[in-house]
Amino acid sequence: MQSFDALLNESSAAHGHLCPGQVVGVRMAMLGCRLIGLDEPTRRDQIKKLIVYVEMDRCTADAVAHVTGVKLGRRSLKFVDYGIMAATFVNLETGKAFRVLSTEEARDLACAYAPDVAGKGARQLEAYRRMPDSVLFRVQKVRVNLDECDLPGPTRFKAVCSRCGQVIRDRREYLVDGAPVCRPCSDNCYFSHAREVNWPHMDWSPPSESNSEPSRQVPARCGLVSVS
Amino acid sequence: MLKKIDVQDAVGTRLAHDITEIRPGEFKGPAFTKGHEVCNEDICHLQKLGKNHLYLIDLEEDEIHENQAASILAGALAGEGIAWEDRPKEGKIGLHAAVDGLLKVDAAALAAFNMVDEVMCATLHSHTLVKKGELVAATRAIPLVMKRAPVERAAAIAAQNGGSVRVATLKKVRAGIVVTGSEIFNGLIEDKFAPILSAKIADLGSKVAGIAFAPDDENLIAEAIAGHLDNGCDLLILSGGMSVDPDDVTRKAIRMAGAEEAHYGAAALPGAMFLTAYIGDTPLLGVPACGLHHRITVLDLILPRILAGERIGKKELAFIGHGGLCRDCPDCSYPHCPFGKGM
Repeated sequence: MQSFDALLNESSAAHGHLCPGQVVGVRMAMLGCRLIGLDEPTRRDQIKKLIVYVEMDRCTADAVAHVTGVKLGRRSLKFVDYGIMAATFVNLETGKAFRVLSTEEARDLACAYAPDVAGKGARQLEAYRRMPDSVLFRVQKVRVNLDECDLPGPTRFKAVCSRCGQVIRDRREYLVDGAPVCRPCSDNCYFSHAREVNWPHMDWSPPSESNSEPSRQVPARCGLVSVS
Repeated sequence: MLKKIDVQDAVGTRLAHDITEIRPGEFKGPAFTKGHEVCNEDICHLQKLGKNHLYLIDLEEDEIHENQAASILAGALAGEGIAWEDRPKEGKIGLHAAVDGLLKVDAAALAAFNMVDEVMCATLHSHTLVKKGELVAATRAIPLVMKRAPVERAAAIAAQNGGSVRVATLKKVRAGIVVTGSEIFNGLIEDKFAPILSAKIADLGSKVAGIAFAPDDENLIAEAIAGHLDNGCDLLILSGGMSVDPDDVTRKAIRMAGAEEAHYGAAALPGAMFLTAYIGDTPLLGVPACGLHHRITVLDLILPRILAGERIGKKELAFIGHGGLCRDCPDCSYPHCPFGKGM
C-alpha cells in the first residue's frame, strides 16, 4: 500500500477537496485492510477478496472506497445507510471481518492533539493525522453473512415483477401472497407518483467513431418539454 | 456479572472489592479489603458504612475486575522514571516518581485516555519538578467490573510514545553566565543578577562554570559567549540587554556568536522579553531585567525543561501563554500556583 500522504493526496483529488473526513477515511481504510490481512487491496490478486460496507454517505466513504478500490458497480462496495461513521472490511477468502468505527471523542480531542493549529477544520484535519489509531477508531470483530446474491460476479437470479413486469436481479424482489413484486410496486420505495413520459430528442444516440456525424443533432439548448 | 445480596446473607462470602470508610478529619481508607471473608461481627460495621447489600462477582470471559483493570492501566500509563506497585487500593493505583526530575505528561494522550468510558487517570501538571517517591498520577477503572476491550484500548492509548506519564531526570550541566550592561561592567552599580542565576542553577543540580561581565557592546558580549563555549559550557545564561533600548544589544551579540536559531519573546509575564537560542546543541537563554525583581519568572518555567533535554522553540514559548500570567502575590507560593501550568 502507498504511504498515507500519497493515498490522501490521491483520494482528496478524486473526492474534490481535502477535509478531515478524507483523513479519517484514508486511515480507516488502511486500518481495515491491515486487520483483514490485505496490504495491496487494489492489486489484481487482492481486489476480489475484499468487500467493504460503508455506513455513511460522507467524505469518509469516498476515501474508504478510493483507498480500497472497492466499487459499487463491482459489488465490492456496499452502502448501508446507517448514518454511522463506520465501515466493515470483509476478507472473502478468510471470512475475517472487522468493523472500524470513527470515535466521536476524536472531535473533542482535536484541540488536544493540534493546539497549534487555528480554525476548526484545519485543526481537525491535522489532529486526525496525529492521533494514533487507538484514539481515532474503535474496532469490532464481526460476522458478515454474505448471501450468494450479494457477491461480485454475474447475476445469480432474476425474477419478474408480478405487477409491472420489471426484471429484478439478485433476489431484491418482495413476495406478496407468494408472487414477486419489485420495490417500486411495493410500499417501500424512495419515490412515488411514477408516470411514464416522453422527452425531447429522444431519438438521440452517440455518434459512432467511424462516422463523426451524430446520428441526430441535439440543439445546444435542450430542455424538457412540457409533458403535462 | 454482579449478583446483589443482602448483607445479612453475606456471612461466609468474600468481598468483591475494598470497602472504604471515611471518618471526617480522622480517617479515609479501606475498612475491609477485597477478598475478606465476611463474618457475623462484620455485619454491623458494614451497615454503619451504609452497606445493606453486597455484590458477589462472577466474571464473564470478556469481563475484568477493577483491580486487574487498574494494573493494566497503570502499566500502560507508566513511562520512564515512574514506579508503581501492583497493589490496588480501593481500586486505585498510584504512579510515583522513581527519580528526582521533571514530570512530563502527554496531555493529548491523557485526554484521549480519559475519554474512554469507565477509566480515569489524574496527574500533576506536566513540567512540575518532582522528587523521588512523590505521587505524580493515579489511575483506576471506575466500575467494579467492566469489559476488557475498552480497558485494553485505553491502555493502548496510554502506552503510545512509551507511556503518557514519565519523569525526566535533569542533566547536570556546566553553565556559563554572561552579565551584560555597561553600568555593571564599569562598576557604577553592583551586579545582583549573577547570584540569583547561580542559585537557580544550583537548585536544579547543575554548576556554574564561569561568570563573565560585558558592557553593552555586541562584540564583547559575543566574545564572552565564545569564551564560555571554549571553556566547555553546555548551557549559557545571559542577563540584561534584552529590551528595546539602543543599548540593548545582547540579542545581536547572540547572533554574532553563531546562534543558528533564536526565539525572542515568551508568552509569560514576567518574562515577555525572554530569548532562547542555540549554537549547535548548546542552549543560550537571554533573561530580561525582570529576573532581578521577581522571585519567579519565565526562566523558572523554561530552565528545568532545558535541563530535562527539551529543545525550546517558538511553539514552547507560545504555549506557556495559557497560565503564563503571574498573579504577583505578596507571598509567592510557586510552584503551588497556576503560573506556567496551562500547558
